[in-house]
Amino acid sequence: MGLILQMKTTAIVLLVTMIGCSGGAQDDPLFATRRARLLDVVSREQEKSPYVIASKIHKGVEIDRAFILLDSLTYDKGIGGMFYAYSLIGTYLYTQDALPDSLKQKVRLAYQNRMMYRGDTENHWVMYYTGLYLAAQTWPNEPGETWFNGKSSEENLREAAGWLNEWFRISSTIGQGEFDSPTYFITFVTPMIALYEFAADPVMKAKAQLMLDLLFVDFAAEHLEGNYGGAHSRDYPEDIINPLGAPSTMWAWLYFGEPRFEQWEETRFRPRNRGGWEAVFGALSSYRLPAIIRSIATDRSEPYVHTETKRVRNVIRFGKEKNPPAYKYTYVTKDYVLGSLHGGILQPIQQHTWDVTLASRKPYNTIFTLHPYYSGKELGMFFPEELKFLSDEVDRYHLVYTNPGKWNSSSPYEQTFQHRNTLLILYKIEKGVMQPHIDGFFPKNLDERFVHSKGWVFCRLRDTYVGLYFIKPGEWTEEPVNWRWRSPALKNGVIVEVGSESEDESFQSFQNKVLSAKIDLKGFDKETSIRYVNRHGMEMRFSFDGPRILNGKQINLTDYQFFDGPFVQSVRGSGIITIRYKNQTRVLDFNKATIQESH
Amino acid sequence: MISRTGLLSLLTLCAVTLLSAQPSESTVYASVISTKLFVVGAANPLTGLFYQKTSEDTVWHHTGPRNIRANGMAVFQGSKGRLLYTASGNGLHMTTDGGAFWRITTGWEITEVWNVWVDPKNSSNVFIGTAYGVYKSTDACDTWKQVLRGFVSSVIVDHSNSSVLYCTTEDGVFKSTDQGETWSRTGLSINRIRTISQHPSDPMTLFVGTEYHGMYRTSNGGKTWIKIEAGIDHPTFFTIAFDPVEPRNMYAAGYATGVYRSTDGGYSWKRSNKGLDIENLRTVAVDPANPKRVFAGTYGNGVYRSDDSGLTWRWVGLRGAQVGKIVIEPS
Repeated sequence: MGLILQMKTTAIVLLVTMIGCSGGAQDDPLFATRRARLLDVVSREQEKSPYVIASKIHKGVEIDRAFILLDSLTYDKGIGGMFYAYSLIGTYLYTQDALPDSLKQKVRLAYQNRMMYRGDTENHWVMYYTGLYLAAQTWPNEPGETWFNGKSSEENLREAAGWLNEWFRISSTIGQGEFDSPTYFITFVTPMIALYEFAADPVMKAKAQLMLDLLFVDFAAEHLEGNYGGAHSRDYPEDIINPLGAPSTMWAWLYFGEPRFEQWEETRFRPRNRGGWEAVFGALSSYRLPAIIRSIATDRSEPYVHTETKRVRNVIRFGKEKNPPAYKYTYVTKDYVLGSLHGGILQPIQQHTWDVTLASRKPYNTIFTLHPYYSGKELGMFFPEELKFLSDEVDRYHLVYTNPGKWNSSSPYEQTFQHRNTLLILYKIEKGVMQPHIDGFFPKNLDERFVHSKGWVFCRLRDTYVGLYFIKPGEWTEEPVNWRWRSPALKNGVIVEVGSESEDESFQSFQNKVLSAKIDLKGFDKETSIRYVNRHGMEMRFSFDGPRILNGKQINLTDYQFFDGPFVQSVRGSGIITIRYKNQTRVLDFNKATIQESH
Repeated sequence: MISRTGLLSLLTLCAVTLLSAQPSESTVYASVISTKLFVVGAANPLTGLFYQKTSEDTVWHHTGPRNIRANGMAVFQGSKGRLLYTASGNGLHMTTDGGAFWRITTGWEITEVWNVWVDPKNSSNVFIGTAYGVYKSTDACDTWKQVLRGFVSSVIVDHSNSSVLYCTTEDGVFKSTDQGETWSRTGLSINRIRTISQHPSDPMTLFVGTEYHGMYRTSNGGKTWIKIEAGIDHPTFFTIAFDPVEPRNMYAAGYATGVYRSTDGGYSWKRSNKGLDIENLRTVAVDPANPKRVFAGTYGNGVYRSDDSGLTWRWVGLRGAQVGKIVIEPS
């Protein structure tokens, strides 16, 4: 009786310390179905992809064909570098029991004869060092002459472990530099899956599990029906304008169970040549997403604010601080996600500073604005090449960098201030800057889009409503999938209000409330400042390079935690991330390489 | 019908040509960062370290690792043989057996290696300039120590005194008098320095090229600097080279400059681009064995060569290449 009473009056705490044991339970009965479906589909593909090869061999489909594909991968000079370094060894390890010795030897020789370029970005290094770690572990006690870089197996293992441990430390204390990227998510999660699956060192395996949990919960907190919502450090433009087409969607589908359809049957969700099918490594892995993270990704019963502090990629020029903080604010509801970075150059080339992503199965379910900035100086902050060659160089790889109509860009002339579902964006573009205009993306397939006589642009997609007020005028042009709003005003600003039927009842009601909001632009032309009282009566005062003031109280971005919100909390620098959902808690302790669960 | 005198003259000419050609055969090394021929999604064209004999004209041979973004290179001919170094994004590659076996001598802590300089008097002392600072090895690249922080575009060892080093950085030109252990800023107040070159016989005279402010000259080891104005119409210089035999002859190049040539020790300059099809250059080198022979590495179309001290140029290969550094080793 006493024991029962104690159980009733005291929280039942289950404390699990996990070093090197398998992941937490995943009470998702459909995971096995999705996993099997993915492997089934990919095993019937024909492209020369490590993931297709792994699927074919795992499923026993066209095994001879798989061997031919793998054989050609070992000598194809068109494939190399960091993408090759981890995917080849991952495929080898997943399939080695079925491989003939001759093919095993060819894979081994690839790590001797093929230079694996390490690259110059965070994702490059994760892939490179994960690949090097697993390869060195697979073929131990071999001299430098048998490795592409002239280092012995032990030297390679030690170097790879050294960098991976450093990456774990940075990512769990000040954040990733290439954070929250729907495009690049696969380049972090896939190597970590392979590392978790095959690392022989239990501590390394435990750290890979911690990192996987962190990557997934980071995604989950901003996830909405398959979309990676909010702002992103870097993305391809096609992923920005069509969020469900991003590579991260397949991982959301596999692990979160959203979006709720078999995506590969829809052409627009098919992985593109530059990526695709990486989720096969997940499907083959024993890693299981903790149920608590899946709950966080899918429970949208209550709206919430989620904030994060990430870091800027290594600044090598034009800055005193190597990794300044990047502050991120996201408001998540069941109908939309509105998210923003605080502004400025936080990443080169591909930054996505703000958007509203709408819950929808339609493509192009997003609205945003940007200043399509480019300069040798921006690139020079992050790349060592000569400033005057850099723009051309980057254009050759990314194709759109100097394009005035591009849909991804950081800008030193853009700042934001967000409070829940209201966002203010200010632009203060210097004279003489290339591409002196701001652009707005409005998908054509909105159910409604019109300009109100009072200047607001109102949009509706199903039961979600968006209002945008442009401080200076612009012009609309029609493009294949969207309307483009462009303003040449150097000083400009946008007020964004987002609502939904559940928050505002009808679209008309939303419009009425927004139209009654108070816009004070007396200081705009002189100081690029705005005072705005939103439809909920909250006063927001904001000036470019000035304070953000909410109801008379200044918001200090430096007060942001590493993670803060109902689901994820972490003090910056602590290396401890607490994940909460209802009465469940999961604590990721990167310092001790442990996971503690309680419920 | 050739007359006896004519035949004699022809034989004499041939003999002179053979005699003069024989000792001037040198090896030209070119580090190729990337190539304009690269198409996203396609196989990378071969890049890395190339070399040729000067008699081979447009023929180039590849050695060492491929596709490593080879920014710079160095060669050291010592008592134990030739040492080759390639400064790359992957780190510093090195071979001690003429190129059969290469090893990356640096670990994960060192990246974006921009150039490498070997102490001419002691090949155990090697310095590399990187996007994160200067690193020093005193054990032939077995271990490394960071001796200066910041973005470093080039580092050189004083050929007359191995204790003295200069490096160019985003924050100016720095000098060390204790083998790189400590550094102090020289008297140049300009930032964003890209390259430095030392006079072959007057070690106190050095030239630097900058990103935005042209070229500067010092004749007192960096205490004071004078901006070079005469004949200079461009702001950005990535390379400055001396004729090692007749140092009054100099060459400089950079962004959209073509080749600048000086015949008065760098006091005045003239552009000399006849035969050059591209004006973006990153490196110029003079053949010590035949100083009339000058090689220019371009950013996008390989290597050009002059056999008349830079008066005229012709393309000699590596089409599309973005050449990081040319070094010429006399035989």
